Amino acid sequence: MAEQRFIIQRYDPDSAESYREEFSLDVQPGQTVLDCLNAIKWEQDGTLSFRMSCRHAICGSCAMKVNGSSMLACQTQVSEAVELGDPVEVAPMGNQTVIKDLVVDTTKFVAQFERAETWLEPHEDQEPPEREYRQTVEDFDHWSHASTCIHCGACYSDCTVAAVDEKFLGPAALAKAYRFVMDSRDSKREERLKFLAETEGGIWDCTRCYMCVQACPKDVLPMDAIMELRALSIEAGYTNNHGSRHHKGFASGVRKRGRLDEASLPIQSVGITRLLTLNIDAHKEMLGYTPGAIRLLKTRKLLEAAKRHGASQDGREHIQRIFEEVEAEKHHHDVDADAFAAEFETALGSG
Amino acid sequence: MLQHDVLIVGSGLAGMRAALEVSEDPSLDVAILSKVHPLRSHSGAAQGGIAASLGNSAEDSWDLHMFDTVKGGDFLVDQNAAELLAREGPENIFELEHMGCAFSRDEQGRVAQRRFGGHTAPRACYAADRTGHAVLTVLFEQLLRRGVKVYSEWYALDLVVRDRVCQGIVAYDILTGQIEAIAAKAVMFGTGGYGRAFRVTTNAFASTGDGVVMAYRSGVPLEDMEFVQFHPTGLQGSGILLSEAARGEGAHIVNSDGYRFMADYAAGRMELAPRDIVARAEQSEIEAGRGVTDLQDSVFMDLRPIGEERIRYALPSVLHLARDFAGIDPLVDPVPIQPTAHYSMGGIPCDINGQVRLKDQDDAPIVGFFAAGEASCVSVHGANRLGTNSLLEAVVFGRRSGRGILDVVKDLEPTSIDEGDMARAIGEVDKHLRADGPEKVGAIRAELRDTMMDKCGVFRTDEQLHEALADVKSYQERYERSSIDDHGQTFNTDLLDAVELGHMLEYAEVIVSGAIARQESRGGHARRDFPERDDDNWFKHTLAYREEDGPRLEYCAVNMEPQHREAFPLQERTY
Ligand SMILES: Cc1cc2nc3c(=O)[nH]c(=O)nc-3n(C[C@H](O)[C@H](O)[C@H](O)COP(=O)(O)OP(=O)(O)OC[C@H]3O[C@@H](n4cnc5c(N)ncnc54)[C@H](O)[C@@H]3O)c2cc1C
Ligand code: SF4
Ligand code: SF4
Ligand code: FES
Repeated sequence: MAEQRFIIQRYDPDSAESYREEFSLDVQPGQTVLDCLNAIKWEQDGTLSFRMSCRHAICGSCAMKVNGSSMLACQTQVSEAVELGDPVEVAPMGNQTVIKDLVVDTTKFVAQFERAETWLEPHEDQEPPEREYRQTVEDFDHWSHASTCIHCGACYSDCTVAAVDEKFLGPAALAKAYRFVMDSRDSKREERLKFLAETEGGIWDCTRCYMCVQACPKDVLPMDAIMELRALSIEAGYTNNHGSRHHKGFASGVRKRGRLDEASLPIQSVGITRLLTLNIDAHKEMLGYTPGAIRLLKTRKLLEAAKRHGASQDGREHIQRIFEEVEAEKHHHDVDADAFAAEFETALGSG
Repeated sequence: MLQHDVLIVGSGLAGMRAALEVSEDPSLDVAILSKVHPLRSHSGAAQGGIAASLGNSAEDSWDLHMFDTVKGGDFLVDQNAAELLAREGPENIFELEHMGCAFSRDEQGRVAQRRFGGHTAPRACYAADRTGHAVLTVLFEQLLRRGVKVYSEWYALDLVVRDRVCQGIVAYDILTGQIEAIAAKAVMFGTGGYGRAFRVTTNAFASTGDGVVMAYRSGVPLEDMEFVQFHPTGLQGSGILLSEAARGEGAHIVNSDGYRFMADYAAGRMELAPRDIVARAEQSEIEAGRGVTDLQDSVFMDLRPIGEERIRYALPSVLHLARDFAGIDPLVDPVPIQPTAHYSMGGIPCDINGQVRLKDQDDAPIVGFFAAGEASCVSVHGANRLGTNSLLEAVVFGRRSGRGILDVVKDLEPTSIDEGDMARAIGEVDKHLRADGPEKVGAIRAELRDTMMDKCGVFRTDEQLHEALADVKSYQERYERSSIDDHGQTFNTDLLDAVELGHMLEYAEVIVSGAIARQESRGGHARRDFPERDDDNWFKHTLAYREEDGPRLEYCAVNMEPQHREAFPLQERTY
């Protein structure tokens, strides 16, 4: 048992007052941040409000910011949170209005699914089969990861575009749209691709910052889904809009590399690679956030190192080279993230 | 006063499936109301699968499914209901599949099926190990598509019944703190189970038996409440469920000697025996001093025999749960597990069309009041539910309730709710907001959960149950002197915690009373002092009617009249 301090961002709707409040409590090994919030609520201050229900990372209620990154409180061990900052700071999700304490108004987030019409539109012109539709295991495996979304909003909370663009459909709704585009039972594939490519706040507004993938507690990989949607919409001929012009260079890159290759890369290496082979300066602001999941702690360390070195042209080239090597390697075998991290940090001289 | 033709309370599988059915008639105004956003409902936590005799993986039939269900329920199953569950299973699965449900596939591209405890054929359809989530999501998507009105984060406080006619509900808007009357010609409860009264449980914080208690308070009896299922594979400590799919895939369960002790309890099925049998075997091993870990309160589940590749493919959540919530890697080490309160067999008595009935001499209906899913007791699970049968029940009987409502609602008169009907709910909220007593809700709740786990848990005795009853009564008294910290109007979860504790204290008394009276062991109810099933005296359902000084117990017969075959006669339940 050890005493642990928490700093909680609070908001009292009656007085419209925001403040930070410190609590401390005894924490047992194995306890999660949600366990601690409950202990605070039940034993110290019943006015503290937050959403939670399942307590095992499936209902999507308890997304909040822990030490600056969006994650599920129930899935985050206190011992891990402490590694990112001590005392542990808990705050409501970003990009949404706070209702009370850690409870945010999710109306905007939820409405995006309706706007993107993320539900199956069955084939109207043909009767469904007597039994099930057939779908190959391969087919299913290709998109089923995107159906694991628990609508927690962590991705949206950390999304760099959602922060500045109210109209942006956001990572979760776009990933869900992707799931229906890919599902052979759906009849609106073409209409969906057209809409997603041409609507304001559609797939071309994403800046590929990768925050959504890092924040996501499930295997949804929203940004990968968005990239695949871009490639598919280009293939389908929906390029004629203001958004895609800015992305011409990128789009042809996708074409050349082939989207399947991109989508199937191991998550760590893809994440790090994409982040750092992009313009590092442009990501400085984003680096103010920390990655959504503790398991990506290593990534964060790398990013900080990159940020330091990002200022100099030399450092950037150095990073680029390492990544090129890794890129070349990863086709032969899965990149070992730990070894990779160690090598990277040594190369930067940051220990 | 708000008004709808049909109001569905609860947005798990049962509630949403019913709402979808009612929305087939565009002339009806249907709304759904839930204390958590529909996608946050407890159904989403179901992992392992949903049963149906599709026969995709091996030969199967509805007869066999029905038989397994009846036997699994230790024959306290209403056979007309079990027959419908089994017969209508496949068409319900195909319907979900046509709606876009992300079912895992087999080599032929059909819905994949696997084995599950207590089922003699591989009939669990699944979506990796997130089956409930896949079904819940697809139902919500289709409700959105239909534009059904959703009262999200509204809390139902009371069911209004006048002269055995349901008028609607009184509900609390969690966002604003306003109390509103919502009148409806037909109300359906799909409010879920009551497992939160136990210390170690798989249930979400929302599973506080609210609907069950609302019905009870409005004069409806509660059926078979003493039957609570303990799942054998709860993560030690928190009780978080490790899916039965782990056992289905071939996990071993061993004691401190490394011995697969199920050989001594159910040699034919080993780890695949029904959960109550495995849970009791574990509890017996633990009580005999063969438990593992420092606390010796658990046994080990070993996933390694399944093989790494298969574990990663078929059981990703089990892998993550053990890692995130116990810090254990099942690929490397065995996982400590213990029995955990999992499923509520009892609930609101209703017929096969979801119509709630008093089950007294004339079996009168509460006109316009329906129930389905875990909150109800039709009773397809009898004394013990088989895994993967409850998602199916929620879907099959959610749909049937929807149809039941469509059949009658056009003939029902408009209803109304007046101030008098709202008085109790308003009074309750007001009392909590003003109370300044010394007792803390959290402390009383913790003690109640200990009592229910330790004195009314996997094994029960007369002495312990009487202690439990005295405990519960004392908690009820202390509850009257309790107070909360939050007196605000906006998102006051402190207040809702208090309301929920009131519900838990009310139904805990019913569970314990039913358990004291039932002097036999059957399914989920295991009496150390009456270890045998006693069909001569106890082959009957318990009905608890609310009286001033506690529940009055009556009993009613088990249905033995299926439509399409003979009833399965009583036999000993061995595996
Ligand atoms: C961890 C776990 C795993 C499981 N795995 C399986 C499985 O693999 N297969 C299987 O068949 N079964 C499984 N079960 C059981 C199954 O999930 C449930 O029995 C089933 O989902 C119940 O569905 P429901 O619709 O009746 O209720 P729920 O899904 O519990 O929904 C209840 C609804 O009622 C609402 N509600 C409750 N009270 C109020 C109130 N006062 N006011 C407003 N709304 C209210 C809630 O918000 C919620 O929307 C599992 C259960 C658990 C706990
Ligand atoms: S990658 Fe795109 S969608 Fe994802 S967080 Fe960044 S901007 Fe948002
Ligand atoms: S995509 Fe991931 S982070 Fe975003 S809402 Fe879904 S589960 Fe949450
Ligand atoms: S409480 Fe359900 S996701 Fe955390």
